[in-house]
Amino acid sequence: MDTATLDHISELSKLNFTPDEKNVMLAQMTDIIELMDTIKEYDITYDDTKDHNEVRYDDLRKDIPAPSFPTEKLQQNTSPRDNCYVVPKMME
Amino acid sequence: MDTKNITAAALRRMLDNKEISAKEAASEFLSEIKTKDDKILSFITVTEDEAMRNAEAAQKLIDAGEAKPLTGIPLAIKDNLCTDGIKTTCSSRMLGDFVPPYSATAVEKLIAQDYTLLGKVSMDEFAMGGSTQTSAFAKTKNPYNTECVPGGSSGGSAAAVSAGFCAAALGSDTGGSIRQPSSFCGVTGLKPTYGRVSRYGLVAFASSLDQIGPIARTAEDCGIILNAIAGVDPKDATSRDVPFTDFNEKLGKGVSGMKIAIPKEFYGDAVDEEVRTAVMNAAHEYEKMGASLVDCSISTLKYAVQAYYLISSAEAASNLSRYDGIKYGLRGEGHSFDEMIRDSRNRGFGDEVKRRILLGNYALSSGYYDAYYRKALALKQKIIEEYNAVFEQADVILTPTAPTVAYKIGAQDNDPVKMYTADICTVTVNIAGLPAINTTCGYDKNGMPIGMSIVGRRFDEATIIGTADAFERTFSPVRCTL
Repeated sequence: MDTATLDHISELSKLNFTPDEKNVMLAQMTDIIELMDTIKEYDITYDDTKDHNEVRYDDLRKDIPAPSFPTEKLQQNTSPRDNCYVVPKMME
Repeated sequence: MDTKNITAAALRRMLDNKEISAKEAASEFLSEIKTKDDKILSFITVTEDEAMRNAEAAQKLIDAGEAKPLTGIPLAIKDNLCTDGIKTTCSSRMLGDFVPPYSATAVEKLIAQDYTLLGKVSMDEFAMGGSTQTSAFAKTKNPYNTECVPGGSSGGSAAAVSAGFCAAALGSDTGGSIRQPSSFCGVTGLKPTYGRVSRYGLVAFASSLDQIGPIARTAEDCGIILNAIAGVDPKDATSRDVPFTDFNEKLGKGVSGMKIAIPKEFYGDAVDEEVRTAVMNAAHEYEKMGASLVDCSISTLKYAVQAYYLISSAEAASNLSRYDGIKYGLRGEGHSFDEMIRDSRNRGFGDEVKRRILLGNYALSSGYYDAYYRKALALKQKIIEEYNAVFEQADVILTPTAPTVAYKIGAQDNDPVKMYTADICTVTVNIAGLPAINTTCGYDKNGMPIGMSIVGRRFDEATIIGTADAFERTFSPVRCTL
């Protein structure tokens, strides 16, 4: 893996690394991708007609409105103000 | 009460016969936790008050003759299963203060039995790892040798059961996370068929592979807990309505006439000699009991770790994208929305979680998707075909659970490839969605437990529980001396 690729997937992952962290991560990800690359040796093609059998689409519950969790219980994990989630002001 | 040896089944009898009260049982386990857990760090949260309240409620039912199989039985819960009003950290700084507003369905089903909750136990961060050393809060140690890892990711669950801190525990298994720590800690752990237990309320890692299951001292106890937590759930569209009566229906019936498959690829050089020998000795023990051994092959094993890490990391990258620090989880700082999200994720996630997210996004990104992710899905299909073919000629499959016994803490630090390839014996079972149970089959020259896995057909947990039980009846476990 090269630095540009690591930068690209870090961007996709919303992760930042310091230069030192990036060097370590680059070495480790290169080793990991080397291991993953061996999968290319195996000559096989995915047959998407065989898949998607784990989810039941024929027995979905009816879409009936029902009471949800109390607001104060959902907001116990954040610092709400006036029943709203507070985030930084976005001025770009 | 001998907390290291008491089974849930035996404790049930003691409670029902009034040889011990539910409060006394809870107190004995809590006392063990208080006096000894500083040596192995298996618990993140001990819920003493909750435990005593649960025990009091359970006792009323016992006194009224209305006890269910788990009423008053003290259990621990892996810290990635949501517990209403009780901190659920997933061993991550990201969820360090997270208090769920609801309980997982599996936990609700235990509550319906009036179990006693002793606390939440440690794990690898977001269940990513096989050592419990990626935990941000409690790097659990092995009760047999505190210089060694307990395995993972359900290392806290397995270590707590092994050390006698609880009668049993719930864990979760995405690539071996119930079976491998059970093997390392000398206890019995069951990974049910994918879809057998609702995943609602289990913090998602890889949704097509994750499954909740019990870790206990015997196969019988695993069956008792599975009886309680199994079943279809409208809140989990992947849970299946496959009827069952009693997962322990084959206890004590032996293995006479059964065919046990031995896939040669699981017994190669990657597996330690002592492990191979112990598992093959167990296979010959089954022969003496009247089973026959069948040679077979799972040729795709060579690529299984790669397929597993590509699929699970792709799903993890997607699942963990929800952690942005806004509605819950660690809130980072920044002048903009983007800076805040990045700071939350940089500070909230540990290195292993970051590696998995990077790998997942790499495998899913433009230009790599077909070469990695679709190829891994193709291998998944081939692995399922190979297992189906084996089950045409055998009732169960017997393999080592891990290539080695528990290794020294730090031995795999900063070597993710070594860590990943150590999952070779367990990942195919998750990829194929099969049930499997680990039970102890021996000890190495240093007294560390060796585990074997019995793999069954989809939704045939009763057969693997019965097969493990048959061996356990002939085997004398050596408990840890913690």
